[in-house]
Amino acid sequence: MPISRFIACAFAFALASSGAQALDFKPYGRGAFAQIAKAHAGKPLMIHFWSVTCPPCLAELPQWSKMTGERKDVDIVFVNTDSDEDRARAEARAEKAGLGKATHYSFSDDFVEKLYFEADKSWRGELPFTALVAPDGGVTSVTGAIDDPLVTKWLEKRGGK
Amino acid sequence: MSVSRLLLASAAVAILTSAADAEQPASPDAKPAAAAEHQHAAAACADPRPDCAATVNPAFDAKGKLWVAFSVGKTVYVASSGDNGRSFSAPVAIATTADGVIDAHGDARPKIVALNDGALLASYTTRPDKQMIGTIFTARSTDGGKTFSAPQPLLTEGGQRFETFVVTPKGRLYAGWLDKTNALKAKAEGKEFEGSGVAFGWSDDKGQTFAGRKILMDHACECCRMSSALDRDGQPVFLWRQVFDGNIRDHYAAKLSADGATLTGGRVSDDNWAINSCPHHGPSLAIDANGGWHVVWFTRGKNRQGLFYAHSADGGKSFSAPEKFGDDAKAPGHPVALAAKGRLYRVWKEFDGTTTTIPMQISRDGGKSWSAPRVIAQTEDASDHPELLANKNAAYLSWATHKEGYRLIPLPRDEKSAAAR
Repeated sequence: MPISRFIACAFAFALASSGAQALDFKPYGRGAFAQIAKAHAGKPLMIHFWSVTCPPCLAELPQWSKMTGERKDVDIVFVNTDSDEDRARAEARAEKAGLGKATHYSFSDDFVEKLYFEADKSWRGELPFTALVAPDGGVTSVTGAIDDPLVTKWLEKRGGK
Repeated sequence: MSVSRLLLASAAVAILTSAADAEQPASPDAKPAAAAEHQHAAAACADPRPDCAATVNPAFDAKGKLWVAFSVGKTVYVASSGDNGRSFSAPVAIATTADGVIDAHGDARPKIVALNDGALLASYTTRPDKQMIGTIFTARSTDGGKTFSAPQPLLTEGGQRFETFVVTPKGRLYAGWLDKTNALKAKAEGKEFEGSGVAFGWSDDKGQTFAGRKILMDHACECCRMSSALDRDGQPVFLWRQVFDGNIRDHYAAKLSADGATLTGGRVSDDNWAINSCPHHGPSLAIDANGGWHVVWFTRGKNRQGLFYAHSADGGKSFSAPEKFGDDAKAPGHPVALAAKGRLYRVWKEFDGTTTTIPMQISRDGGKSWSAPRVIAQTEDASDHPELLANKNAAYLSWATHKEGYRLIPLPRDEKSAAAR
């Protein structure tokens, strides 16, 4: 989509020119799931969705931070599902958890049914939610915590640390 | 505002503007291109009207006037309609938050309650910027909605969200909400604590003051709305997702005693949804003239997944076996139930990847059998959760969608007229 590419460029430019150190959320709208999966094709990818209105999500953010440090063989992308009003709070929580340098997206579209559907046709927005995308594009989705057996098993399959 | 956030906002606006160019709504409710001024990426407009709100909560007053509470930006509004939602009065601003967030997303929303003598009570929850706890505020109008009192907090300590109200025939106003006070206390002591408490209060002066305001049960799922309805005996019944032992997030329904001190009820079903997550997906309760409790809910439990219905004929002591509804291929969600003049209605949302629909079913035998689902509204963009309400004997769907704006849609009285629609 030309518009989103334009935006991505504008973003990169703005970041480079402003030298912004703060955590930045890239917009996550319609089509974003496929775009992110495509951008990481060939590598195992975890797309983790979270919200500040979800206490279990906040509780496990530090574990995600640890995982990003330990599993360099896996790309991990974070998607904050809050609306703009909560973004400052989301930024603070991510930074506090040590995820300041991770790759972050945030919902930029209120048509949440569409955003959920694109990640998993049966997802209704329960959080935390993680899409495990294999190098070949196969998606396994997990509702619940990072220590869910599905996550552990998937990671084991991707090789050790 | 940081450069990046400014950019994010303008990027979102750019997407919006292009989308608006491509898909100009044909309805007379088509929204102006005021979107560019709105902070919220996908909100369709920034005017203080229900068409521009992400959530709209409706209520009819005794004279049949429709009232709605909603928020746009950082302001909560109330507006009324004398023609069933086709047009609205100039909105009255209830409050503007200087900092923090108005809870108006998904299950959380500002509310309006029409009291027996024409007074109105508006409520909303704010969340401060720094903490993930809420404060519930109420404001009253005794001049037919022309002006509202300065909002006052229901409680000033702890943290409260997801308020719900029931008015009794005698004019007592009951409130139920999820309350984090005990959870915060436990956290401060370094103890584990699942979820929120469920708390209740009541007002005999039309919302000026609330008595009770006590937590009667702990460990409700903290991110799902609470539902309430009036029982035949004039007492309020509440329904919420409870965190049972083993992190099982199933539902619990209970009646509040006349003295507000005890809850009597029970578990609705054993879905066995054991998960450390936030479903963001609360249940809905309706009570019929015979005192039958009717419950609809969403689960992804070990024992069942999808939307379910059950009823209780003995005040919540026991519930019928959960009966499934909705099309599993279309991610059915956010069900609501309503009892109106011998009929029961249930509606919910379905999504096929392009279109969100609101299917409806009617039961004329107290929930034993239901008509075939019939789609009564749809949209192809963002939308609020559906709400149901009755005005005397007539039932309505209340639904805000970005493309079509706010709609109040009359529900058919029987299967025949439903089929003819």
